[in-house]
Amino acid sequence: VARLCVCDLLVAECDTNCCCDPDCTAADFSLFTTCSVPIVTGDSHLCSQKAAVYSLDVDANPPERIFELTDQVNPSVFCIHSTNYKQALSFSFPEMPTSDNFDQLLKRFGSAAFSAEPDSWNTDTNPSDANETYRYEYGVPVLTADAFLRLPSPVVSSWCSDANPAGFLVNQATKCTRSISLEKCGNIEAVSMLFYVNSSILAVNITVQSVVVQSQNGTRTLLNGSDVLRLPVILDELCINIVLGVSYHITYTDAGEIIEAAASFVLGAINKEALSIQQSFEISFTQVNTQPVPLSGNPGYVVGLPVRAGFRPQGYPFPADILFAALNTNKYNQLTILQSTSSQDCLAAQGARTPVLFGYNMISGCTLRITEAVQCQPLTQTLLDLLKGQNFPEYVASFGNSQAQDVLDWVPIIHIYTSEQSDNDRIYNTLQSSCQIPVSLEIEVKWTKYGSLVNPQARIVNVTATIATTTLKQLPSGRERTIPVTSSVVFTDISSPAEPGYKAWPTINAKLPFDFFFPFV
Amino acid sequence: EALNNSSQLSSVPLQMLFYVNGIYYIFYFLATLAMIIYKSQVFSYPDDFLAPDLTSLFIMSVLEVLRLYLGSKGNLTEEEAPLGLSLVTTVGSVILSVYFLVWQTYVLKADVILNAVLLFAYALESVLKVTAIAAFVR
Repeated sequence: VARLCVCDLLVAECDTNCCCDPDCTAADFSLFTTCSVPIVTGDSHLCSQKAAVYSLDVDANPPERIFELTDQVNPSVFCIHSTNYKQALSFSFPEMPTSDNFDQLLKRFGSAAFSAEPDSWNTDTNPSDANETYRYEYGVPVLTADAFLRLPSPVVSSWCSDANPAGFLVNQATKCTRSISLEKCGNIEAVSMLFYVNSSILAVNITVQSVVVQSQNGTRTLLNGSDVLRLPVILDELCINIVLGVSYHITYTDAGEIIEAAASFVLGAINKEALSIQQSFEISFTQVNTQPVPLSGNPGYVVGLPVRAGFRPQGYPFPADILFAALNTNKYNQLTILQSTSSQDCLAAQGARTPVLFGYNMISGCTLRITEAVQCQPLTQTLLDLLKGQNFPEYVASFGNSQAQDVLDWVPIIHIYTSEQSDNDRIYNTLQSSCQIPVSLEIEVKWTKYGSLVNPQARIVNVTATIATTTLKQLPSGRERTIPVTSSVVFTDISSPAEPGYKAWPTINAKLPFDFFFPFV
Repeated sequence: EALNNSSQLSSVPLQMLFYVNGIYYIFYFLATLAMIIYKSQVFSYPDDFLAPDLTSLFIMSVLEVLRLYLGSKGNLTEEEAPLGLSLVTTVGSVILSVYFLVWQTYVLKADVILNAVLLFAYALESVLKVTAIAAFVR
């Protein structure tokens, strides 16, 4: 007891106000004000125990420390006189693990809670984890054999960092820049397919789903045989098979296990002037046995999400399920309008279209140059294709989460054809057979608020596509004309204002008893 | 016949001591049991230390009953055989009392007091039993 000192923290130095510190000299004691540890005793349950009492005698000049070793007596009749159980009053030393007692120690201390009788805790554990496979939760990094699945992404600057783990069920798309040069293209492993296919997600191998080769001018071609790993190789002053984009598709079960992983690559080539390339990475998770149809709202449309649309197969009605084909796995199959490009020429736009997002009114257009030698019918067809696109849908989903099987949840697109002609022109043109060409497409989407006042949901009620045509005037030879072509989308809120609902007026239900006027009636 | 010491060999002090011993032992048994329960709550008292203490207590109570019965019977019927058996049983009780005094897992001060008194009573009883046997044999 005399050697125990709790306040002696500094080695070989005197702690202030620590009267039991053996490193303190009498000169140090004279500077103390109190003793932080006045008494050190053993267990107070014992009948008689040694106690080291430290105190400061402040009356003396200089103050000095007094140390006494006394016996403290516990006056209670239930004080411990003696014990025959060594571990009774102190913490025991843990056993040193050796090869003999390791298994037994592991059974006792290897779980989350220690127990003196480890067998009694085993009945609580879940016996259903017989086939223990890895289960993931949202956001947990997807583990691979050595670390975790990496999705290179820009950190701080736009340079790629390979340390970004892909989280389970977190759909990500990143773009980052990687520095590269022609001479070292074979050595940088982050631009070769092997780097992305090599890591196996814990018993699931990453298969190569498709390989697209992008040429120098930007055209992409899908390769047929996607089994072969194409590594970067220098050919004719170009380094080909450089990975420009990877898209992972992970299939999971509803129990949280990953059962399949596929990667699609976009490969490109660099020449010797290239100093850096931009790589884009994407990962998406799909549940097994489901179709990945992203919802645009649940149930009402969310502003900014694409308007869902589709087609009805021929031969409606079927007696069995009615399915809408071509649902929006690819978002460009949805309701789209012409997208304005920097070159205002319609024919050079190459069919760029942008999806219609709910709540965003859009207008776009381009100009068409025609010469005298243009034919009416092909021109009309070209303009219609421009305005409506290749797959203009027939039905639009009324809610953001409308299922394909619910026919009543889909609103048909109503087509209206108008012609912008003044009266004079009409009279003039009826005398000649004239050419009507479509010049504008206006899609008006009428929506209403549906549901409770507190949380109204947007619901599309009506979609009208109006195509306005104009007369093509004949040109004198040798001259050109430009026709502006516009398309627009307008969202109109037609929800009726809320009407207050009142309770019925209370009625006075007073009835006189049957014989109230007894003697007289 | 007049009751005088020469014709009555039974020892009155021994009988009184048996009576007092019986009452004291009931108190001793209950007190020791209560203290074992108290110790098991306040201190760390694992089962493999608790079991010997409890079994010793119950064995001791059985021996005590036997001992007091035999001793009382032998004293009153003035026979040396039961008294001798009682003396032998006293040896066992003494050993158990010493166990509770010294070798118990936790020996509290109250334990010390109780067992000391019990041992003193045993010692006194043994002396009186020996004299009684001597008186009966003669």
